Amino acid sequence: MERRLTLLLVVFALVIVGLLPLAAMLGKSIFVDGRLTLAVYERLFANPGQYWTPIGHSLTLATFTAGCATLLGVPLGLLLGKTDLPFRRALAVLLSIPLLLPPYMLAVCWFNLLASNGVLARVIPARALELLSGWLFDLPGCLWVLVSAFMPVVMILTLVYLHAVNPRLEEAGRLITGWPAILHHVTLPMILPGILFGGILVFLLALGEVGVPMFLRYPVFPVETLTQFSAFYDFGAAAAAATPLLAVTLLVLTLERLYLREKTYRLRPTTPGRRMLLVPLGRWRASALLAVGLLAAAIVVLPLLALIVSSLSPFAYPQAWSKAADSLGRSLVFATAGATLLTVFGFFCGYLIHHRALRLWRAVDTLTLLMFTLPGTVIGVGLIALWNRPGTGFLYASAAMVILAYLAQYTALTSRITLATLANVPQSLEEAAQMTGAPWLARMGHVVVPAALPGVMAAWLIGFIFCLRDLGASMLVYPAGQDTLPVRIYTLMANGAPSLISALCVILVAVTLISLAILSSLFRAMGSHR
Amino acid sequence: MSRGRLAIVVVAVVVALVLWRVLAPGTANTVVVYVSHDQVFSEPILKDFERDVGIRVKAVYDTEETKSAGVMNRLIAEKANPQADVYWANEPIRAEVLRQQGVSAPYRSPSAEGIAEQFRNPEGYWTGFSARARMLIVDRGLKDKPVSIQAYTDSRFNGKTVIANPLFGTTTAHVAALFTLWGDYRTKAFLDAMRKNGVHISSSNGESADQVATGSFQFALVDSDDVHNREKQGQAVEGVYPDQEEGGLGCFIVPNAVVLIKGGPHTEAGKKLIDYLLSRETEKKLAYSDAAQIPLHPGVEPPSGVRRLETLKVMKVDYAVVAAKMESIQPLLRDWVGH
Repeated sequence: MERRLTLLLVVFALVIVGLLPLAAMLGKSIFVDGRLTLAVYERLFANPGQYWTPIGHSLTLATFTAGCATLLGVPLGLLLGKTDLPFRRALAVLLSIPLLLPPYMLAVCWFNLLASNGVLARVIPARALELLSGWLFDLPGCLWVLVSAFMPVVMILTLVYLHAVNPRLEEAGRLITGWPAILHHVTLPMILPGILFGGILVFLLALGEVGVPMFLRYPVFPVETLTQFSAFYDFGAAAAAATPLLAVTLLVLTLERLYLREKTYRLRPTTPGRRMLLVPLGRWRASALLAVGLLAAAIVVLPLLALIVSSLSPFAYPQAWSKAADSLGRSLVFATAGATLLTVFGFFCGYLIHHRALRLWRAVDTLTLLMFTLPGTVIGVGLIALWNRPGTGFLYASAAMVILAYLAQYTALTSRITLATLANVPQSLEEAAQMTGAPWLARMGHVVVPAALPGVMAAWLIGFIFCLRDLGASMLVYPAGQDTLPVRIYTLMANGAPSLISALCVILVAVTLISLAILSSLFRAMGSHR
Repeated sequence: MSRGRLAIVVVAVVVALVLWRVLAPGTANTVVVYVSHDQVFSEPILKDFERDVGIRVKAVYDTEETKSAGVMNRLIAEKANPQADVYWANEPIRAEVLRQQGVSAPYRSPSAEGIAEQFRNPEGYWTGFSARARMLIVDRGLKDKPVSIQAYTDSRFNGKTVIANPLFGTTTAHVAALFTLWGDYRTKAFLDAMRKNGVHISSSNGESADQVATGSFQFALVDSDDVHNREKQGQAVEGVYPDQEEGGLGCFIVPNAVVLIKGGPHTEAGKKLIDYLLSRETEKKLAYSDAAQIPLHPGVEPPSGVRRLETLKVMKVDYAVVAAKMESIQPLLRDWVGH
């Protein structure tokens, strides 16, 4: 009863935070002047032929981005998580840095790098620079920026899922064959759900991306939603324009559910005390390190370098600090509160889905993923439509709205991390506690959460990163005078000095890395004291 | 209760109090302003207002990424329960849209005295101040420089020109203004000729200006602050006010516009902010800032790099008509852009 009531409360909260804003947005597209009508759709899609090219571009970009990110992210995840590659922890952190910045900012970095007066102009010939610049403003450029932005998603998921592989299975394999065959027949099939989930996430993220394709002049379909927002201020038409992509998202999630979900449960619990087996690279160690180092240089160091070089002006950092210290403070407070709630929320959602504790477990999973892939502006306007009422005005005019926006958008992340972690926690532990008569919440607090603590901490850290870099929805709902650092950076981008903007981006990256380093050490210390 | 649990409860209460202090909205002696004008230029003015008038300003700024749609969408979405008192728009078209949507309230500020009727809503729903001009940013090395927007159709510049996406921002307003002056047939022909002459489309005016500054294109139609900004950075570009010849079309002027929000929580403070923004002093500050905006009050002396309004041939348009035209030409513009 306690379990059912708690989980129903979580579902209820999810409906309020996620489903109602979405329904409010879609409602605006079918209720015009209080009447149920499809007029908005008829008007918008009167000539569907005009949308084929941008829809084709969107699907091409999303497919190639997901494909390339998976082809890069999985080998990287294996090399950094499963082998004795030197500096693998530092390289994993370095390769994850693009995830800390909104993709649009990465596109600006690459533009600064490849401009005729940019950093690369000093070292490569003008013809080559012109060629690279031409590629940047087309599909290859969009692909490059989005792959570098989203590849860490696949890499990190591969790393997380590798921890869920039972080493006893690999040990058994080693009795009869070598590591290549074990990786091929044991490890990879076991982490396949994680890999495919990563690929799907990247596909959906790339499908909804607007900022990068617009900046790099590659027409994609989500621009249609933005046009309805920014040219007509027509929320109904904007929601209607989002429906084709919503349909693609639902189709992809349905396919994922049909072909993938059951496989997630084939993960077997790791025997407590056993550590992950590492593959010795032997004579390939140096070459592998070189390859990973070159890739990190190409997709992380170069744009970061451009950012740092462009920030090197005598007054940039003092000015950045004076303009954005308060925003930085708020970002940290909001991200801490957001990550904590996301972890709690995600844990219960993950538990519900893992144990199929309520009949609507599938709906919960689909809804959280759907919200994760929706454009932030759609969620933002939905939240405004729902919460900006006289009765809830006290909440609407406070930063609680930013936290609600985080919950709406990112619960899928913490829920899925919990799901992967719970697959690794033996069911017998909870059952044993139940036999002693411990109530459900006590079992959660004293048995399941401690057993899943590494995953819970990872969920908190991932939640913290995403809250700290969030822009889409928080930009529309942050209370007046209480902006966050990413919002401040974006609002200063219009005619702000390039050195100031670069300095602010460097501060955002540095603060995120320092926070993560401190929190990781803290969590590790807590883990070792258990 | 054990000591450990007591400590947890105390920490939780302290954290809750701190969060409440940080998160809770304040209300006394405050004005809430939503701003579409660039934050780098508008924030110092609002800080001055706080210092000079003693009213705390809470601002929401717009971003480039959403094509300045964030604040407008908030204002419209909040219409039933307004949170803002004042909207500082970076062009009058948005202000006109708010009037049409019933979001704004009329207010005739005494500070608006002297500003030409063309730049004010006759009923006081919005008032213009400190304008940008739509200018050509031109490669300084170019010998025979363009002097009219018609140069976009000149074969000398085939494939060497760029313009911001006309679906967004001041470029939309500029094209709509052409439709109101030239009529549909002539403007469509002009747009087709531009396309045939190989014009490139960028995502924003700033990007167009950068592309001319880096030598990728020979000229672009942008806002005067984009030109001034690149000139100040030492880029090899210069600005040309287009169509200034006798009988010419004139230069499209884009004033800021300030709007009082209907039913806002601090209306009186909002009116004080509007008075402050429309003052000669504010216009002078914006003229001398990096925004380099043209004062609309007669007699406000701009710095040497900024032209006085009286010395410019200005495009004669009715901003309300331009706003209405913008909506009807969107499908055509979408086709033109290629979406």
